Amino acid sequence: MRMRTPLLAGTAVLATLGLAACGSGSGSGGSDDGTIVWDMWSGSQSDTDALNETLAIVKKENPDVDVRLQTAPWNDYFTKLTTNLSSGNLACITSMNGQRLSTYADAFEPLTDADLEAAGLSKDDFAPGALDIMTYDGKLLGVPYDVATMLVYYNKDLIDAAGAPEPATGWSFDDFEATAKGATTDANAGFAVGLGEFQWMALPIAQSGKQPVSEDGALALTDPAFVDASEWYAGLVTDQKVALPAASASDTGWGENQYSGGNAAMAVDGTWNAATYLANDAGFEAGMVELPTGENGSTSLVLGSGYGIAKGCEDKEAALQVLGSLVGKDAQDAMATSGRSYPARAESQPLYFESLDASVRDDVKAAFDAAFADVEGQRSTQNWDQVNTALQPNLVSVYNGQAEMADVLGQTQQQFGQ
Amino acid sequence: MTTTSTAGTRRSSRSRLSRVESRQALGFMSPALVGLALFTIVPVGLSIVMSLFHWPAFGERSFAGLGNYVALFTQNPDFWPALRNSAVFALLYVPLNLVVALSLALALGPRIRGRAAFRVLFFIPVVTPIVANALVWKMLLQPQGLFNGISVSVFGVELPNFLADQNWAMVMVVVMSVWQGMGYNMLIFSAALEQLPAPVVEAARIDGAQGWRMLRSVVLPMLSPSIFFATVMTVITALQVFAQPQLLTGGGPGNSTLPLVQFIYNQGFKFQDLGLAAAAAWVLFVLIIGLTAFQFRAQKRWVHYEH
Repeated sequence: MRMRTPLLAGTAVLATLGLAACGSGSGSGGSDDGTIVWDMWSGSQSDTDALNETLAIVKKENPDVDVRLQTAPWNDYFTKLTTNLSSGNLACITSMNGQRLSTYADAFEPLTDADLEAAGLSKDDFAPGALDIMTYDGKLLGVPYDVATMLVYYNKDLIDAAGAPEPATGWSFDDFEATAKGATTDANAGFAVGLGEFQWMALPIAQSGKQPVSEDGALALTDPAFVDASEWYAGLVTDQKVALPAASASDTGWGENQYSGGNAAMAVDGTWNAATYLANDAGFEAGMVELPTGENGSTSLVLGSGYGIAKGCEDKEAALQVLGSLVGKDAQDAMATSGRSYPARAESQPLYFESLDASVRDDVKAAFDAAFADVEGQRSTQNWDQVNTALQPNLVSVYNGQAEMADVLGQTQQQFGQ
Repeated sequence: MTTTSTAGTRRSSRSRLSRVESRQALGFMSPALVGLALFTIVPVGLSIVMSLFHWPAFGERSFAGLGNYVALFTQNPDFWPALRNSAVFALLYVPLNLVVALSLALALGPRIRGRAAFRVLFFIPVVTPIVANALVWKMLLQPQGLFNGISVSVFGVELPNFLADQNWAMVMVVVMSVWQGMGYNMLIFSAALEQLPAPVVEAARIDGAQGWRMLRSVVLPMLSPSIFFATVMTVITALQVFAQPQLLTGGGPGNSTLPLVQFIYNQGFKFQDLGLAAAAAWVLFVLIIGLTAFQFRAQKRWVHYEH
């Protein structure tokens, strides 16, 4: 019996040592053996196949560097990133979504003009505003590979059947309301409200001309113009009754699903889903148009994703070369031609439309041109992701008429504003 | 004298043997001990340490003392509602689950034909994946779902938006959870009912006990050990509820169905504040241990063991 206590303690100590060894075993950057790891999200085999095509281009352009691709599904990607960060084990080339950059800003090595030059890149290569996607707090933390903005998608069949006016380029908020009202019938709603961050915020931002983050990077959910526009937005459900209240706070894609299921005539979503909606499973004819214009113009934000170099990457020179190839002309052309994403590199953008069916090509191009014509960079705070997580379940109460939009914004501002 | 000396040597040789044996036993046990230490003791210890630190998922950590606990009880806008939601859920779920399970077990008495088949049917929700169950319930409950569809087309009455209405969401989480969890307790009660000592039941019957009197004075007291076990386990699972609200309502609308475990999950993995999450987890642990200890204390008053 007397033996047991010291032995148990000894075992525990040994186990702890083992754990500690695990923690410090592999060096940061994951490039001990001269390999550059490229960490990227991928939801399916076809995504991974496409990434492997890009990888082949990168390898061809950099025969002397050993590059390895590592993927995880979208949601797991960020959980895994958090874990890798806390153990100081980040991949040299880490992919990042612009909306989440603020949360992970500390993880990235700021890129200077000299760095870009070493990568064979120039700021002029990219579409206007594209570099803002990977900029936080005045520092360029990565290079974008795609650009996106929010569009209003509409169901031509429902709108025609109801005899409502079809949305057209240059439309106003009055036109938007007219279409939403006209397309609302007993069987379907004219519009579907969103729960995701820009799926709902895009219209209030466009109408008020105000982002919910001030220019100096402070949370500004209670800006009077933004609050008014948000109340108008919630009123589409509660007052004008042209949209249905969300059914549950766990339906994060509520508005988008209502639209793609043919239950709503219009919804707001990003340009990244254009190809998906054009080939929707429900079989309706989809159209798209830029956000409507109001008294304050039509402020829309440029969104997107890019690749950054992790702090502590051991072979920055090689990583820069790989980075240059990942957003180089060949890789961007290949991505655009496949229709997967709208590329960030300006000269590759026209190829995206060529991948689309000829019958919709001109309409999509017109909508994209109008939507990207006057975009501004998205500002965010360090806890932007948390702000949206906290807002989402409260929006459900707002849409169901059990809370006021102004109160919800006020409480969230109070909780995250300091 | 000789006897004591032999006894002495025998005792010492036995103790030497037992020492060797216990050393060998420890050798055999050590893989299990390492596992226990690695996966239980170290994480539990670490979680205490974590709860005393400002511990972001990455970045600077700093010692906070009891700061996280103070923040939970005085500053966090979701903690008290989460405690309240867990309490409301447990208060609704535990009695409802026990009553439904006991009623089912009693109803599926020996005279019911094919009762084994019924038991399997009622047990199916326990073994089917909860994600699938929740998705089906969501499809039934949403405004475009089955219940509202039938109600509107047959009665012309529009039902509430169950999962998004703050007065209904918790009720529906409880209803779904009872449906999901009742089969387990039903099985425990059924097994106990089958084992009721025949002589006692027969004696009661000869004395004229029937129906309600029989149930209240004979069956329930003899079932009390099973009821006690089921109560303790059900209270624990009720306080640990996570999947049903996460999948059905996302904790919403607002925070009206956010239970303590989902609060912990959100703090740790969405807000990336592991220190606060660990502190909340210890509050939950103390709550569960406290309630369970109380139940064991109180069992003397109502649980009858035969031996």
